[in-house]
Amino acid sequence: MKGKCYIQGAAAITPQHTFEGDLLSSPLVSGAGNMLSIVEPDYKAFIPANSLRRMTRLLKMGLTTALKAIQDSQLSTPGAIVTGTGKGSLQDTERFIKDIRQYEEKALNPTPFIQSTYNAVNGMIAVQQQVTTYNNTFVHRGFSFESALQDSLLLLAEGVSHTLTGAFDEISAEHFYIKSRIGHWKTATVNNAELYHHLSPGTISGEGASFFVLAAAPTVNSYACIAGLKMLYKPSPATLTAALSAFLAEQQLTVDDIDLVLSGRNGDSNFEHYYTHMDASWPSVPQLPFKHLCGEYETAGAFALWLGAHIIRAQQVPQQWYPFQHSFPGRINRILLYNHFFGDQHVFILLEHAVIPGA
Amino acid sequence: MAERVFITGMGMITAIGDTVTANYNSLRQQQSGLGFTQYLDTMYQGVLPVAEVKHSSEALSEMAGVPHQPEYTRTTLLGLIAIQEALQQAGITQQLHTTPTGFVNSSTVGGMCDTEKVYFDIIDPEKHGDFLKYIDTLDCADCTQRIADKVGITEAVTTISTACSSSANALMYGARLIKQGVLRRVICGGTEALTRFTLNGFNSLKNVDKQPCRPFDHQRNGLNLGEGAAYLVLESESLVRENGSQVLAELSGYCNSNEAFHPTAPSPEGDGAYAAMSQALAMSGRSLQDVQYVNVHGTATWSNDLSEGKALERLFGDQVPPFSSTKPFTGHTLAAAGAIEAIYSVLAIQHQVVFPNLNFSEKMEELSIMPETRLLEQYPVQTVISNSFGFGGNNASLVISKYEG
Repeated sequence: MKGKCYIQGAAAITPQHTFEGDLLSSPLVSGAGNMLSIVEPDYKAFIPANSLRRMTRLLKMGLTTALKAIQDSQLSTPGAIVTGTGKGSLQDTERFIKDIRQYEEKALNPTPFIQSTYNAVNGMIAVQQQVTTYNNTFVHRGFSFESALQDSLLLLAEGVSHTLTGAFDEISAEHFYIKSRIGHWKTATVNNAELYHHLSPGTISGEGASFFVLAAAPTVNSYACIAGLKMLYKPSPATLTAALSAFLAEQQLTVDDIDLVLSGRNGDSNFEHYYTHMDASWPSVPQLPFKHLCGEYETAGAFALWLGAHIIRAQQVPQQWYPFQHSFPGRINRILLYNHFFGDQHVFILLEHAVIPGA
Repeated sequence: MAERVFITGMGMITAIGDTVTANYNSLRQQQSGLGFTQYLDTMYQGVLPVAEVKHSSEALSEMAGVPHQPEYTRTTLLGLIAIQEALQQAGITQQLHTTPTGFVNSSTVGGMCDTEKVYFDIIDPEKHGDFLKYIDTLDCADCTQRIADKVGITEAVTTISTACSSSANALMYGARLIKQGVLRRVICGGTEALTRFTLNGFNSLKNVDKQPCRPFDHQRNGLNLGEGAAYLVLESESLVRENGSQVLAELSGYCNSNEAFHPTAPSPEGDGAYAAMSQALAMSGRSLQDVQYVNVHGTATWSNDLSEGKALERLFGDQVPPFSSTKPFTGHTLAAAGAIEAIYSVLAIQHQVVFPNLNFSEKMEELSIMPETRLLEQYPVQTVISNSFGFGGNNASLVISKYEG
């Protein structure tokens, strides 16, 4: 993918304390079991109480994160709203399926149906911010957020001044059980802080919302530059290796130019071999995982981007989130993000310091 | 200078036909696909008409060339049948790998058509069996990947879900990927199977008519749901020249806009519809006078037709070209509607016809315009606007033009 963009605003609601406070001092939230849930912020600061009562969890998460990202950017109303979600509002979907059965298809409340629509969050943001321009929602598992990012890069190249780009997914107890039946999760309970010590079939589940305001040109407020994006569908290990070389070569870079790899590894022995294979491509680059922070879900890559952007801006890793790590890189101007979702959708994202010193 | 985007292949299956040609014949013969469902398990079986594809899932599996197994939901099967026709028409057999080809699919509820039948078994720890294979089909990506895997698309896949404008947005996104040189060929469209979930959803909104829908009629009383799938092969101008592809039409303009008005209702003055149509037309470089036909969204809900009609009057003044809704033929096929109607727009250009708006008898008193109720033949159709509007305020208009070389 050609084209670059700059992160001008960012916000995230995740199983960690990411929504408010200082990233570098907020403690690691751990030990909650195999289903990580978000730390709920005070939604009332963003959404009027009478609206809040009608909204389900994912809608609250999505809308609030979007509003905070816009606020953080200090920019005017965005010229486009582009999002990704793997599952949409599970709570509403589950409720409507049950209502149909319980009430035998009669006198149903339409609200869960309306809110189960995958573009419901986008519609709410548009109404709230009066954004009457481009609006799109991608729903493709581990490419959901990354497709939204690609669409945003196209929009910026087409002349849109700045986009609101984000992702949101929730997990419910019912859906956790459903996915456990096809082996998505570890059978033994693990502490997320020790996720990588438990290489066994399955991982831990997560959820979260992450939003960004993206612009074509940098400002002093830029977090970082998204310099490249590559999605690969069901690649072979050899294809992955070749794609990485081509991806870096497009930027006139080699792996030696990368200061940090943010890796999506998640302790799942069924799909660990992709990460092991790629480790050989960056043997001497410092590497940090992120799934112990957010759990596994379709749009976890959006959280990784949020984390990477903050690391670049702070020039520092939130070390308290890495009790198992002994050394951290000093200078962090380029981060390579590599993630895949249960082996099918693989993504590389290159993040750079907004203004590379000496460049 | 961005490349022009051409349509070089089309494939579809709807309640009025299993192929593009069969659809065209039914449109000409004014043969509606509406009736009562044979395959949906609902208490509305003999109450609410739907436009159902006239084959069981077993028969669809055979048509799609895959085994009849839980992995292949009705959503996937409809999509597979449509995409194979599109590829065949475009003459794409072995070139999927030689020319990197993207796939932008769309869906509103993924495999819900089948998963809703086994959902309560899936969540019951006491139940075990083959039905667990449906778990993978719960989301919208499943159908896309099964279709891609069967026909051999490996380069780029994604899925869009913006309610009733989904496949119009898929076409738009594919065209933009081509214009910016990311890909040279993208197959775009959508697939939608009837579900009890969606039928009850629209019925709970009191949006479903017990009679065949009556778009733009003063007595209109809601939509009928339909099912189907449609895909269009989009290619860059340079690829068309290199391969000598046969061009069916040009996708000359498009616009995605949002009403920012209400979760399920358009603004009464049709602001979003007006913005989508006018900006798409501006992009196409065509003038108002160049438009000979508008394939309207025309769901026959009270609010859509009022809003869309107002937008047509605002845009065209007293020179509104012939317009019709083809939803009385196909029902409202939600995610697939934009692609199905894009194909009808191409057919209107290819055959120089305007398709009739069925079931119309009484002019809306809020409007001065009426839909075209006759089949217009030998009508000089050069440029068509196709509209798709949806929940969440999502509006999309496409401009499809005759290929002039």
